[in-house]
Amino acid sequence: MVKAIKIDNLKYSYDERSLFSDFNLDIDAGQWVALVGHNGSGKSTLAKLILGLLVAEQGDIDVFDERLTVETVHHVRSKIGMVFQNPDNQFVGATVADDVAFGLENIQVESSEMPQKIDNALTIVGMQEFKNREPHTLSGGQKQRVALASVLALQPKIIILDEATAMLDPDGRATVMETLQKLKKQFGKELTLVTITHDMDEATLADRVVVINDGQKILDGTPAEVFSQRKALHENGLELPFANELAFHLNEKPNKYMDERELIQWLSTLNK
Amino acid sequence: MAINFEQVNFSYGAGTTLAQPILHDINVTIPDGQVTAIIGQTGSGKSTFIQHLNGLLKPTTGRVVIDDFVLTSDLKEKNLTSLRARVGMVFQFPENQLFANTVLEDVMYAPINFGYAKADAEFAAKTALKQVNVSEELWDKSPFELSGGQMRRVAMAGTLASNPDIIVLDEPAAGLDPKGQKELLAIVRGLKEAGKLVVFISHQMDHVIAVADHVIVMHDGGVVAEGTPVEIFNKDLVWFKTVALDLPKAGQFAEQLRQKGHILRHRPLLLTELATMLNEEKRHE
Repeated sequence: MVKAIKIDNLKYSYDERSLFSDFNLDIDAGQWVALVGHNGSGKSTLAKLILGLLVAEQGDIDVFDERLTVETVHHVRSKIGMVFQNPDNQFVGATVADDVAFGLENIQVESSEMPQKIDNALTIVGMQEFKNREPHTLSGGQKQRVALASVLALQPKIIILDEATAMLDPDGRATVMETLQKLKKQFGKELTLVTITHDMDEATLADRVVVINDGQKILDGTPAEVFSQRKALHENGLELPFANELAFHLNEKPNKYMDERELIQWLSTLNK
Repeated sequence: MAINFEQVNFSYGAGTTLAQPILHDINVTIPDGQVTAIIGQTGSGKSTFIQHLNGLLKPTTGRVVIDDFVLTSDLKEKNLTSLRARVGMVFQFPENQLFANTVLEDVMYAPINFGYAKADAEFAAKTALKQVNVSEELWDKSPFELSGGQMRRVAMAGTLASNPDIIVLDEPAAGLDPKGQKELLAIVRGLKEAGKLVVFISHQMDHVIAVADHVIVMHDGGVVAEGTPVEIFNKDLVWFKTVALDLPKAGQFAEQLRQKGHILRHRPLLLTELATMLNEEKRHE
């Protein structure tokens, strides 16, 4: 299996305090991984290390078999798109289309090819009809989808979203999550997705959930495996998704992990 | 010490051709000694509404009566100082406003501006930091070394330090992890127990259920409903669609069950309530 990201023996300290030591994580190409942990657990630091925005003291990071070094950092970054938490901090263009164009200009895309690429990217995230709007007139969820389009236009192999929904209202959050599910459907194995979050309902959408705390991998598995560990999640300042917490409180529980849709189905047939 | 909105209208650029009406005909009472939640979709006027509570905005017509203070359009800026001392405002993501070298200096900034002597300001700041559970070993640290949840609480302490009677919070728990959210809701409850009138904006209906005594629902710049959380969250589903609001998660779950033909006796608002109802059903079969 091709590894999109391979982290080996990573060591990184912050403020003389060791954050990561001997940290290992492999992410398969095409996987959707939710990286979860409470505020300050090190998950955003990890994203910055992968992008080469921070430099590890020891250990290796490979992105699609290319070792991250001072020489390769720009090439490695070209494979990764990043969407940050605050939608207002990542706009440069006067219009939505200009904003998507900015990234394309940076990689010297022919201007004749640009309109098509911009339209494609905006269509994927459902923001095509907003292309002439000024970014500040958009809602938070719309801004994050434009940020995602700007990243998509560059055709990265990996997209990392660092708490990209944390500042959004429930509606904005839902549209961004729907967009991610659509992306995953459309690009399948061509796109590796890493979502950094502390919202467990979001994490259930991923193929794999990795819980980190104090730079340690606490849990790593499918949503079914991770969300059967209620106690460990609580000890690390996290909670179960709503449906799993509900199932925990039922006298008669389903005999296997169920996501929300499955639990609803199970409960409704139970009573008939 | 209740707050009364009487026939309040607000427009940006009032009196010009570009006047943009935001709030319409607001008549509402925010009760004393309680926690009031303001809910409504993005753009419904919540932030404009709360900015009338400490005179950051003044009503274009009508008046806001805060205890014995009357806020009207013709009030001069210099006359707002006494109101600002009584009403503390914590904005969204207040940690973005931290600036001082140490946590303690940051929290002392507001009381010093309100004319406290340095020693008094320090005492007030320490009291406020304890109130929001920021432990003493952090007081001499740079606020920028703290975690997100800690920074949020330090920023809140900055508002609490001048001991306002009324505390207004815009989305106090947004962006925090589950533990940080719980801590913040506990602080809101603590403020009420300390006798404060608390007003907060939230998009998280589960937070509203958890701490609010009273709920004001805004839509298109008007107040469309008010009542206890139980009254509000038992309204008709069609109404929730028109005001573009969600039910608390337990209520949403029950709705999805209903669509599958599994009908519960009434709408649960808490997870534990939903679990109890489902467990009792089994017992009665």
